[in-house]
Amino acid sequence: MKKHIAIVEDEPALRENYAAALARHGYGVKTYGNRKVAMQAFSTHLPDLAIIDISLEDEAEGGFDLCRDLRALSAELPIIFLTARDSELDAVSGLRLGADDFLTKDVSLPHLAARVAALFRRIDALRRPDHASDVVRRGALSIDGEKMQTTWNGTPVTLSLTEFWIVHALARHPGHVKNRQQLMDAANVVLDDNTITSHIKRVRRKFLEIDASFDAIQTVYGMGYRWVE
Amino acid sequence: MSIRFQLLIVALTTLVLPWAGCQYASELETALRASQENALEASADTIAHALSAQPGRVFRDADDIEPFAQEHGDLYVFPLHGPPLLDGYREDWDLPVEPAPLPTATGYPARLQAGYTERYLFLYLEVDDPHFVAEPADVHPERDRFDRVDLTLQTPDGSLEFYFFATGAPGLIEAQTLVKGDGGADRTAEEPRIQAFWLQTSRGYHLEVRLPSSMVGARLWIEARNAGGDRSAGFAADETLRGGRLFMRTPRLDELLATFIRPGTRATVIDANALKLGVAGTLASSAAAEDTAAAGTWYRRFMTVDTSDWPLQASFPDRSEGRSVTAALAGHPAAEWLRTGGSSDLVLAAAAPILIGDQTRGAVVLEQAGNELLALRDQALTHLFNLTLLATVLAVSCAFGLATLISMRIGRLSAAADSAVGSDGRIRLDMPESHRADEIGGLSRAFERLLARLNEHTQYLRTLGGKLAHELRTPLTIVRSSLDNLESEGLRADQRSYVTRAREGVLRLQSILNALGAAARVEESIKQAERVNFDLNALLHSAVGGYRDAFPAARIALDTPPDACFMRGAPDLIAQLLDKLIENAVDFCPPAGTITVRLARSAGSYELAVINDGAPIPIAMLERLFESLFEHRQGRDEKPHFGLGLYIVRLIAEFHEGTARAANRPDAGGAMFAVTLPMI
Repeated sequence: MKKHIAIVEDEPALRENYAAALARHGYGVKTYGNRKVAMQAFSTHLPDLAIIDISLEDEAEGGFDLCRDLRALSAELPIIFLTARDSELDAVSGLRLGADDFLTKDVSLPHLAARVAALFRRIDALRRPDHASDVVRRGALSIDGEKMQTTWNGTPVTLSLTEFWIVHALARHPGHVKNRQQLMDAANVVLDDNTITSHIKRVRRKFLEIDASFDAIQTVYGMGYRWVE
Repeated sequence: MSIRFQLLIVALTTLVLPWAGCQYASELETALRASQENALEASADTIAHALSAQPGRVFRDADDIEPFAQEHGDLYVFPLHGPPLLDGYREDWDLPVEPAPLPTATGYPARLQAGYTERYLFLYLEVDDPHFVAEPADVHPERDRFDRVDLTLQTPDGSLEFYFFATGAPGLIEAQTLVKGDGGADRTAEEPRIQAFWLQTSRGYHLEVRLPSSMVGARLWIEARNAGGDRSAGFAADETLRGGRLFMRTPRLDELLATFIRPGTRATVIDANALKLGVAGTLASSAAAEDTAAAGTWYRRFMTVDTSDWPLQASFPDRSEGRSVTAALAGHPAAEWLRTGGSSDLVLAAAAPILIGDQTRGAVVLEQAGNELLALRDQALTHLFNLTLLATVLAVSCAFGLATLISMRIGRLSAAADSAVGSDGRIRLDMPESHRADEIGGLSRAFERLLARLNEHTQYLRTLGGKLAHELRTPLTIVRSSLDNLESEGLRADQRSYVTRAREGVLRLQSILNALGAAARVEESIKQAERVNFDLNALLHSAVGGYRDAFPAARIALDTPPDACFMRGAPDLIAQLLDKLIENAVDFCPPAGTITVRLARSAGSYELAVINDGAPIPIAMLERLFESLFEHRQGRDEKPHFGLGLYIVRLIAEFHEGTARAANRPDAGGAMFAVTLPMI
C-alpha cells in the first residue's frame, strides 16, 4: 500500500524538490504551503507521515502549532521537523511536542528518504508486536533496531530518530570511540560539531531523567564519544 | 599648543590695560607739566613786572648798563655764609667756584676770588711765584723790589685810595699805604682796618684780605706784582676808572623777593649779565614725595617720558644759566625742565625779563621742584597699576581656570572617546559631560550618537554572519535538493561531472555559512551551557590526543602539571575553545614547527596557553585579535576566515570568568595565545 506523506513547507522550490524525491521513492506526496491549508486537509484525511517546517509563511512558529494539532489527531503519526532553524531551543521544543525527528535543511534528500523509510519501518515493526527483532543489549540498555525503541532498565527512552541512531551506533561497539563524522554517518545526517554535541547532550539528559547515575556515554575530547558499560 | 596655554596668552593681552594707563598717565603728566610751566612763567612775569617798577631796589646802580667785563677787572663778589678765618686758605669760604685767573700780559699766573659778609669784603688771591722776595724791614716802596699786591679802592665818596700788601715774614699782616713823609719822602704806614694773611706755599703765596665794606665804594682794582717788577697780573686803577666794578647781591633784595614767592619755590633775580642779584626761597624736597617716588620707581620703567636728555640744572653761585635764562635776557619769558645733578629730581625753571623802559635789564628766574608732579604722577600710576594689575591677574587667573576646566573636560571626553571601543570590541555608549548644555556637552552628545550608530553597525555586523548563515540556508538547500533530485533522475557521465562540481560548490558554500554562523551558534550554546566540575588536565590530554590524529602534520607538545586540575565550567565549550586555539596555531605554525599546549597554575587560576612557532604578530594587532570580525591573515586560504575563531575563544573564556590574551614569544620566534580560567 502506497504510503502518503504530507509536506508542509512554505518554500515552493524546496517543497517540490522534497516531493519529487519522495515520490521517486514510491510515496504518495501531498504538499501544503501553510498551516491552514495543511490542517484543513489533515482534518479530513491523515497522511502516514508529515514533514513540517517550523516557520510557515507569516507564522514563525506555525510548524509547532501544526505539530501539536497533528499529535492531538493521532498519537502514532510520525512527524519530522525539517527546518532552516537549528537552534537547540527549537530542536528541544519540536521534539517535546512529539516530533519523531528534528532535521535541519542541511539534510540531503537520500538521507531524508532513509529517515522516512526508517520511520515507516518502525511503524510496521510496532504493528507486528511479537516479531523477533534485532535487539542489542548492553547492560541496562536495550535497543530494538527494528522498532527503534530504546529502554534503560526496562524503562522506554523516547529518542528522536537521529538520537536513536547515535545511541545505536555508540552502543553497538561499546568502548570504541566514534568520532563525530561516524556518528553523523550513522544518523544519516550532515551536522556540524556543535549539533552533534547538543544531540549527545540531549541523549544523556533523557537517560539521566530515568537513571540519575547514567554515565554510559563518555566524551573523548578531541575525538568523539564512546559507550562504556 | 594646549587650550590652557592659548587662553593664557589671550588673557595676557589684558596687560595692555596697564600700558594704556601708562600712556594716559604720561599724557596727563605732559599736560600737567605744561600747565605748571605756564603758571610758573606767569608768576615769574608778575614778579619781574613788580621789580621793574622799582629798579632802585633791584640794582645797586640802576644807571650802570655796561655789561660785566671780567677782562677789565670787573669782579663778582660772592655772598659768604659767615666770616671766614683769615688764614690764607679759602676752604672756609665754602664756595663751589674756583678763583678766576687774573689777566696777565706778562705771564704772571694769579687767581682772584671775592666775597662779602654783612660787614666785610674778603679778597682771596693765589699767585704762582715760587721765588719769594720779602719786603725789607725799612721799606722804600718806590725803590725797593719785593713781591707785593697792590689794591686800589674807590671809596664810597668817589676818591681813590691806594694800598699794598707785602711782608717780610708770611703770616697775619695789615695793608700798607704810602704816606707823604715830612721830608717829602714817602714812607709806609699800616692800615689796621685792612687785615690780610700772607701764606707762603710751594708754588707761591696765598693772600686772604679782609676789609670793611664801609671803606669800599663801587670799584676796586687789584694787581699782583713780582719782585723784579717785570711781571704782574690784575689791574691797576687808571685815570679812566674803567673796570674794577664790584658786582654783588643787591642789599635787601632777598627780603623783597621773599615776599613774592610761595614756599617750595626759589626766586633768583639776575642782571643783564646773568649775575645773581638776589635769591630767595628754597626748593621743596618733601620727604614724603621722595618715598612715594621711590616706591613707584619700578613703574617708571614703563613710562614713555624720558627725562635723561633734559638739560642738567646749572648751579653757579654767581650766575644763572640755561635756555630759559638766555630767552628771558633776550626779552622773552620762558620755562624749561631741568634735572638736578646727581638725583633724578626734576626742577621747573621759568624766567621772565625785567624790563626797564624798553631795555632788558635783568630777569627773574623762578624754580620749582618737579617732584611734586612726579609724586602725583607716581601716586596715580601706582593706583592705576595696582588696579589694572589686579584686573589682569583676575582676568588671567579666570581665563586660566576656565581653560583648565575646559581642558579637563575635553581631556575627559577625549580619554572616554579613546576608550569607547574597548579592547574586547565592546562599545561604551555613555560619554562624560553629555548632560552639560554647552558645546563640549554637545560634542559629547555627538560622540554618543556616533557611538550609538557605530554600536548598531557593529551589532549588525556581529549578527550579520548568523543572519546570512540562516537566510542563505534555504536557497542553498533548494540548490542541493535540486542536485539530489537531478542525480536521482540518472545522468549521463558528462552531466554527472557538472553536478559533482555544483555539489562541491554547494559544500564550500555550506562550510562558509557554517563558519559565518559559528559565533552565533557559540553564543547560543553559551546561553544554554551548564557548568560542571571537571579535570582540565584530563580534558587537555584527551583533546591533544585527538588533535594529533586530526593534524598529523603538526607536532603538538603538551605541558601540564602532573596532577588533576579541576575547574568548574562547560567542558564542551573549553574543548571548543581549545579547537579554535589549535586551529589558529596550526594555521600559523610552519611545517616543521611545534605547537605547545601548556597548562600552568597561577594565583587562583589556570593559564591555558597555546604557543606556536612562526612569525610574531604585529604589535598593533595584539590588542584587537580577540575582537569579533577581526582578521589578520594575509593571503588566501582554502578555508574561509571571518575573524571569529579568537572571538569565540574570548566568548568562552569570558563565560568562565576568564580572560584571553595574545602575546609574542619573548624570542620573537612565535606567538602565544593564552586564556586564564578560574580554579575551584
